[in-house]
Parts: sequence; structure tokens; C-alpha cells
Amino acid sequence: MATRPSSAATARPRLWLPLIEKVALAVAVFLPLVLRGEPQLVTLATNILILALLAVSFDLCWGYSGIMSFGQALFFGVASYAVALIGRDLDFSQLAATLPLAMAIGLALSLLFAFFLLLGRRTPTVIFVALGTLTGAYAAERLVSGWQYVGAGNGLSSVKLMQFGSYEFVEGADFYFLVLALLLLVYLGCRALVRSQFGLVLAGMRQNEERLAFLGYRVQIYKATAFAIAGAIAGLSGALYAYHQGFTGPGNLGPGLSTTAVLYCLFGGTGTLIGPILGTVAIESISYFLSGSQTVKQYWPVLLGVLLLLVVAFRPTGLLGLLVSTRERIGSFGRRAP
Amino acid sequence: MTDPKHDAPADDASASAPDRPSRRGFLQGSSALAAAGWVSGVAGGWMLPTMHANAANPILLGIATDITGPIAPSGNACWQVAQLAAEEINAAGGINGRQVQLFLEDTASDPKVAVGNVRKLVQQRKVNVIFGGITSSMRQAIKDPIVNRGKTLYVYPQLYEGQECTKFLFNTGPTPAQQCDQLIPYLIKTLGKKKFAMPSANYVWPQLLNKYARKVIEANGGEVVFEEYYPLDQAEYSATIAKIRDGKVDCVFNTIIPPGVQPFMKQLFESGFQKNGGVAACVYYDENALNFNPAREMDGMYSCLDYFQNVDDPFSKALLGRYNKKYPNTKYMLTAGSASTGMYRGIMLYAEAVKATKGDLAREAVAAMYDKAKLTQGPGGPCEMVPGKYHAKMNMYLAKCKATGDTTSYDIISKFAMVDPKEC
Repeated sequence: MATRPSSAATARPRLWLPLIEKVALAVAVFLPLVLRGEPQLVTLATNILILALLAVSFDLCWGYSGIMSFGQALFFGVASYAVALIGRDLDFSQLAATLPLAMAIGLALSLLFAFFLLLGRRTPTVIFVALGTLTGAYAAERLVSGWQYVGAGNGLSSVKLMQFGSYEFVEGADFYFLVLALLLLVYLGCRALVRSQFGLVLAGMRQNEERLAFLGYRVQIYKATAFAIAGAIAGLSGALYAYHQGFTGPGNLGPGLSTTAVLYCLFGGTGTLIGPILGTVAIESISYFLSGSQTVKQYWPVLLGVLLLLVVAFRPTGLLGLLVSTRERIGSFGRRAP
Repeated sequence: MTDPKHDAPADDASASAPDRPSRRGFLQGSSALAAAGWVSGVAGGWMLPTMHANAANPILLGIATDITGPIAPSGNACWQVAQLAAEEINAAGGINGRQVQLFLEDTASDPKVAVGNVRKLVQQRKVNVIFGGITSSMRQAIKDPIVNRGKTLYVYPQLYEGQECTKFLFNTGPTPAQQCDQLIPYLIKTLGKKKFAMPSANYVWPQLLNKYARKVIEANGGEVVFEEYYPLDQAEYSATIAKIRDGKVDCVFNTIIPPGVQPFMKQLFESGFQKNGGVAACVYYDENALNFNPAREMDGMYSCLDYFQNVDDPFSKALLGRYNKKYPNTKYMLTAGSASTGMYRGIMLYAEAVKATKGDLAREAVAAMYDKAKLTQGPGGPCEMVPGKYHAKMNMYLAKCKATGDTTSYDIISKFAMVDPKEC
């Protein structure tokens, strides 16, 4: 946080983030109107917003808390299986109950992981946590793909439609706005969190964990809290995904999806919250439109990989780093000085 | 449960800086994963334009099949035969004067990707009917977006485990009854193989097929030594092979599918099972399986399907000729186990159904006619839908694989005319 002393008190540098946030929100709100008559694009947009939730949850882990979590898909997937099973076996899909339940599942699972990976006697290294979460996700994928009750390799299809009262959410504009509202809530919540005193501790931790510990902060508790919140968000995302796609499968809890979440985040710009959302939008829409072309399609994963390497090598701050200064990215904490 | 291939992510992650890993090291590791194809959630479609200019208002057929991924050899064969069928329909003047137009979406051997892509067919292309899906897991994943949410007619072309009695979903491939009722008695009574092993992939098709096959085996005086399920991509089968040896198994009834079947067949062959008089049977193996295994590993294998290239039927011979002319030297052959024959049959039955509705494309109307549609000739012979049952009667052939050099052919042992699917 080596911010140069400047005359910022008098002449504030132009702030991009609020502008980007507002534009993104405006675009998101008006999108379904523009896309009327193109239902498949509304479906795509809904899907992107759902995955954006997953990306935000990963950003909380990596961008803000320095936890390289390859387990976000695990929380996502288990929640998606949970709502699919509740729909199948209990014939119940009231969103007022199932979505909070999905968040609780994500929260509980991530707390469990945090307990083993973060709250042990020795301070865990980044590698340890990464491999721990990766192993968890991998084991879960293998377990589920061999478990009859949850459909084994088939996964669960024909997931019961999400309901509010007697209203059923099919993919379309209403589902889109519901997800958008939830994403907005999650986003505002996360933003408040990372700009609070809690967020300041996280920022300090990223800078120098030992020093923070020396100052008396129990840094692992802070990390575990952020990780648990991220887990709950991933759970919410997973539940929405299952309802929206009408399908969930072992691939939704493995390292594959976890890595995809990492990519969204790195591509868009870690530690900004809005960056991962933009990253998701960019990667998913490019994939969608490229898939129309047979020739490009074959090489798309390779192209994406190369693109990412370039971004990481030359622009570690991601797409957003092109516009937003480091100072603004890290932001200010607590109440703004009058 | 360990699979070396899937350890890759761990390797990638630990490949970064050895001591105190930098973030960037991780980032690069992750991007390497992307390059390795983890994010290949991309799969796309393209359309086959109609050949004729008068296609102002064509009938739209969606094809959803595995163009990429482990099941791709079958999926590509399906897509090729679909193009041939569409071309033949259009060359004959279309259906009631309307041309047909195909739209392809890749289901990528991955239900997660498939669900999104199939929706494109429904929502964007607004197709009148969708043909496709090869594995049962794929069918189960895409039937909801097609039939329930998408309100579109769905035709599933592959041999499968049965019990799919969903309205507006027609099955044009063989069922367990059609595949097992002749094959298993032959293995037991004629070949004298009584001790069966059932190594299987862990998903719905092997489970239900084995349930049926076990009944037939036991009813005919055979014995199942073991029935085991493995993850689809398992690569190591030495424990299974040891069990086959120790249990004195003389018939392996295999329902492992790609990508697991390649190592399994290899390890079974190398254990000398076939050389020592054992018999392997696999009901989806056909000429196309050369894309999965070398010929020698399949020599002597028994299969029971609705068509083989050696079938002695003039229409089938002519069809094969047309296919090979359109796709010379293709490695995706016209075969039954790849679902291609079911695909051809499904499209032609659809044409018959639409003719019967006099061009009405409404789902209810077409389904009512599809329910009793018939083909007087098709791959392997005629076929007819059993009214109210969503399945088709068709000829079945019991055949034995013969390897000659690097190629295989199937010698027909016997033919069974118009076998009942016994479903629904």
C-alpha cells in the first residue's frame, strides 16, 4: 500500500471504479429489453451472472484474502446437488428456503475446510491451502461420479423448477432479474465488507501477514471468515445454476470448474470485485460467439490459455488494470476523511 | 479410484516456485490449465444449408451430438449420416415439398456443456425436432431442456438401457431385450460359456442393462461371477483382470465405455483372456470401434446390433455404398453401435410422420404420427414404431468380430426378424 503522497486531498484523481460499476449495472438492467426476441441470449446472460457470483466468491478468497482456493466449485457443486435432490426427493423448490439453505451448505462446507486448512496449529502456506482445496474438489468429483443415489456419472437432470409461491421460474427475463438482484446484493455486501475495517485487516494481511500477526491480529480467523463468506456465495451460485440449467453433474464440483472461476477472476482483475464479473462476461461471451465458428472453436481453449498467460505476465491486474490505478484498486478504508 | 490423468491440476499447481510460491506462479499455473483445455466449455454449432434454392420455408432439424470428446467417433458418424439422410430427403423433393435444413450443436461428450448448446437449438434456431445424444447420461441431461422446458420433439437414436417412456421422446435404437434375449442364450447354450463377469462404467446404461442381462444369464443357467462399476475414465484395471482370472470367468460382458474402455480392452487382451478360450461380448461394439481399440484386441468379440456392414439386405448395402461415396475413407463409419443407424432411422421416421400429418409440424400432431410410423426399408431392414411404446421393432443381428490385419469385420451368425423392444 505504498501510495505516493500526493495532492489527492485537494485534486482527487479521476475515479474509474464507480463509473464502471454504474455502467455495468445500467447495461445489465437494460439488457433484457435489448435482447427481446433473442431468448437464448437472455439465457446466456443469466448463466453469466450466475457464474459471476462464483467469480466474486473466488475474488474474496484470492483477491482479498490471499487464499488460493481451488475449492469454490466444491461449494458450488454440493449446493447445486442439494437443491436438485431436494427438488427430486422432497418435491420442494421454494427459493425463499432453498437458496438460503444452499448458502448455509456452502458456508458450512467452507468452514469445515477452513477448520482443517487454515485454523491448524501451523500457519498454512498458499500451496498447502491450494492443494487442500484442490484435493477436496477432486475427491468430491470422484465420489459423486460413483454414487448411485446422486446419479453417479449421469448427474441429476430435470431439476425441479425454482418456485416463489406458486410462481415458477423458467429461464428468461424474470430469472435474469432475480439473479441480477441477488448479484447486486452480494456485490454491495462484499464491497461494504472489503472496505470496512475488516477489509483493512485483509489488505494488511495481503501486504505482510507476519507483521499483522505481530500486531496481535489472529489473521487465520480473518481468512477463515472471508473464506466462509465466499463459500456461502459459491453455494448460492450453485443452487441458481442447478435451477437455471435444469441439470447438475459431477463436472460441477471438480477442479475444472474451480479453475474456470480462477480464470474469470484473473482475466477480469483480482481484488476489485467488479473485475471478476467483467472477466466472466468477457470469457463466457467470447466463448459463446466463437463457438459459432468451427475453425476458431477448436483452438479456443488454447487461445484462451495464451491470452491468459499474456495477461498474467504483462498485466497481472487483469482487464481492469488497464483502466484502474493500483491506488484506486486497493481503495480506501473506513469512513472517508471529511 | 486414482487416475493419473486427473492428477494433472495438482502437478501444475505445485510446479510453481518451490520455496515460497509467488502469486504469479500460481496464476501461470492456472493459465496452463486453461491451455490444457479445462475451460473448453465451448462447443458450437453450424448449419448445413439446404441444397436447393426453393427452401424458403424449410423444416428445421436439430442435431445434438458429440462432435468432440471421448464419444466423438460415434458423434461424428451420427452427424455424417444425418447429413446424408437430409440430402436424400431433399433430393427426393423434401417432405411434402418442403426442404429440410440441419442445425448441428456439439454436445461435446459433456452434459454440462450440452445443456447450454441444446438450448441454442431450441431457443435460437427454433428447430422442429432434435435428434441426438449418445450416452444415456447425455440423453437424461438434454431431454429436460428439449422436451419439458423446450416443448420440442426429441428422438434418441442410440441403443440404451430402456425404460425411457417420456412423452414426445422417441427411441430408435435397440433396447436390452432386443440386444440380450438372443445374444446371451447363444453365449451360454451354443458356446458353453457359463461364468460371466460384468465390468461396467458407472452410469445408468450399464446398471440397467446389467440388471436385465443378469436375469437372462441366470434364466439360462449361467452365473455372474462379479458385477462392478468403475468411474468412466478409469485407466487401470489390473484388479479387474485378476478377478477375471481368479474367478475362472469365461465370458466378459463388457459395458465400459470410452475413455475407460480403451485401457480395459488392452489390459484384457494382454492378460491372454481371449487366447485362453475366454469370450468377450459387448453390445455396442461395431466396425466403428476401431476408433477405440486396435483390431487384434477385438478379434472374436460378440455383439448384437440392428445392423452390421455385412448384413445381407439390398437397401442396407446400397445405403452403405452411398455413405462411403459421400465420405470416402472416413474413419467414422456407418455402424449401429455409434447410433448412426438409429439416427438415419429416426430422421426417416420423422419424414414419414410429417408426411402423415400432411405437413403439420405441431409437436402433438407429429408425435401422434411418429407413434405409428414405419419404414419399409432402412439400415438392417425395415422398422416400425410400436404404438404407444416410444420404441421400434427392428431386425437384430448376432455377430462375431473378425480381425484382418488392422481392420475388423463382423460375421453375421444369425438374424432375428422384427424383434420386439418390450418396453413401456
